[in-house]
Amino acid sequence: MNVIEINGITKNYPAKKFSGDKIKALDNVSFKVGSGEIFGLLGPNGAGKTTLVKILLGITFSSAGKATIFEKPVTDVNIKRKIGYLPENHQYPNYLTGEQVIDYFGRLSGLSKSDLDKTTYKYLKIVGMDEWGTTKIKKYSKGMMQRLGLAQAMISNPDLIFLDEPTDGVDPIGRKEIRDVLLELKNQGKTIFLNSHLLSEIELICDRVAILNKGALIKEGSVEDITTTGNRYIFNTSDLADDMMNKLLMEYKSTVNGRNEFACNVNSVEDVNKIIDYLRSSGILIHGVNREKSSLESMFINLIEQKN
Amino acid sequence: MVLYAFIKGIFREALAKKILLTIFGFFTLIIVLLIFAITNSTVDGLQMMLESKSEGGLKEAVMMLQSGIVSGIPMFMLIASMLIITSSFVPDMLKKGHIDLILSKPISRTKIIIGHFMAGIILVFVSFLFLLGIIWLIVSLKTGYWNVNFLYSILWFTLIFAVLYSAVILIGILSRSSILTIIINLLLFFPVSWLLYLANRYFESDQKGIVFGPVAEALLKFLYQILPKAWNMQDMCDAYVTHSAITSYQPLISSLLFMAVMLSVSIWYFNKKDY
Ligand SMILES: Nc1ncnc2c1ncn2[C@@H]1O[C@H](COP(=O)(O)OP(=O)(O)OP(=O)(O)O)[C@@H](O)[C@H]1O
Ligand SMILES: [Mg+2]
Repeated sequence: MNVIEINGITKNYPAKKFSGDKIKALDNVSFKVGSGEIFGLLGPNGAGKTTLVKILLGITFSSAGKATIFEKPVTDVNIKRKIGYLPENHQYPNYLTGEQVIDYFGRLSGLSKSDLDKTTYKYLKIVGMDEWGTTKIKKYSKGMMQRLGLAQAMISNPDLIFLDEPTDGVDPIGRKEIRDVLLELKNQGKTIFLNSHLLSEIELICDRVAILNKGALIKEGSVEDITTTGNRYIFNTSDLADDMMNKLLMEYKSTVNGRNEFACNVNSVEDVNKIIDYLRSSGILIHGVNREKSSLESMFINLIEQKN
Repeated sequence: MVLYAFIKGIFREALAKKILLTIFGFFTLIIVLLIFAITNSTVDGLQMMLESKSEGGLKEAVMMLQSGIVSGIPMFMLIASMLIITSSFVPDMLKKGHIDLILSKPISRTKIIIGHFMAGIILVFVSFLFLLGIIWLIVSLKTGYWNVNFLYSILWFTLIFAVLYSAVILIGILSRSSILTIIINLLLFFPVSWLLYLANRYFESDQKGIVFGPVAEALLKFLYQILPKAWNMQDMCDAYVTHSAITSYQPLISSLLFMAVMLSVSIWYFNKKDY
């Protein structure tokens, strides 16, 4: 089942009051997010990521197109019972304590006092903030606010969680902890929608990604598909003799990177195995054969630069 | 449930900003001053009447005293201070990063507005209940005349507040600025609606000293009709307290209509706005 379906969503903001000019923050965007996925939405600053999430949550209204969550239109408030949200630059009244923030937003999510008594500290503990529950949040650091925000997003045990830059301002250890929390949520069958520009992180945890640029969807697919550039394999072997290196160069059109490594474009897996057979029959030991991948980051930069 | 969350939120805000403390401190001060004034009253006529042996005279005197307590100036000061206090609730809610979260919760936008409206009214009702309730107790204990009608002033004051607060909500949503909200609403309360009240009284009276042009008169009458009539409602409150007859409920009805329009426009605008 698809948890989110986005069909031709377009959003125009008025550029200046009364001028009639428009900023196209989203331009005919369509994609789907399946149940139990960690989905990453990538894009440079101002690409429209936050706008899209706000439309899905009914905070902003789309100018055209249709979107559904749990097969209901996003304008239906009742779907939000099963949704958690961590906005970017989230702010709470600073006279509240961490515990009171959870209490306030938990109640707005429809939780009762007894629900909250049971779960408040459970979630504060998950994000490592249980010792800070009774401290006023004006004394929190940025990363602590972010952790509190994450606890707040999880409090109603939602099936779908939107996180807009969840690791913003969090130290590397904290980021690892947050990733672990997200993976744990995924194990529980939750769907996670992540906005980020931290590509290395997205690469580590996302199943699928979509890339937005200037409001348009320019790529969508599994991280695996996006980062795999083609049929290029890298072979690591024991020392190659000169004549073998020549043959690889001439016959298999390889790029030889030294006595122990060469890379080769192939048409199919059969070709890879032919090379392996040749190497083995020549008494070469194979240390590894890997399909070449570009990092999500280099992919991303290539894509964005092409479009510009 | 949701209403409870908003009320709790607003009370926490009022507590944190030391607003509740200030209100109750201020109110306690008023009460202490009142006790002092009653026990050492130098206002001869009042003192005499309060000590009057005839029951009728005593009742008159107590009602006069109570009518003074809820007269125009104290009414304006009390309600204006409440409007100032509550004016920040909506702009605070609309702050970036906070409104996003509230709107992501399973509550309709209409309920959010009504919740904030009700929460403000309850805060103010509780404050007036405290202040006027204790004043009533003191005066009654002191004089032995328990004028239950004085308690209606709590409802009337809350009602006057509610009518004006609906405009606070609308201007708060439109401007997102508590300063602007305060300025516009206080001006509406005084002098605008006060002058219109006086003008209307003048038009209804027989004496025609000052001559308004027909256009000016029509305009003033029109403004009087559409704007809230806090000062007429204060008259009605006074009539309740002093057991007098109310000539017309028209000002109350049109004020409630004003409130309904303000709330409807707020809800309509809030429902279609992007945040
Ligand atoms: N309320 C608004 N009014 C007018 N324009 C807006 C509004 N909100 C966003 N925009 C514009 O819409 C575009 C997309 O903004 P959005 O916040 O969705 O980007 P983003 O991808 O989340 O960026 P970032 O990575 O910096 O968070 C930008 O050009 C922005 O200026
Ligand atoms: Mg953003």
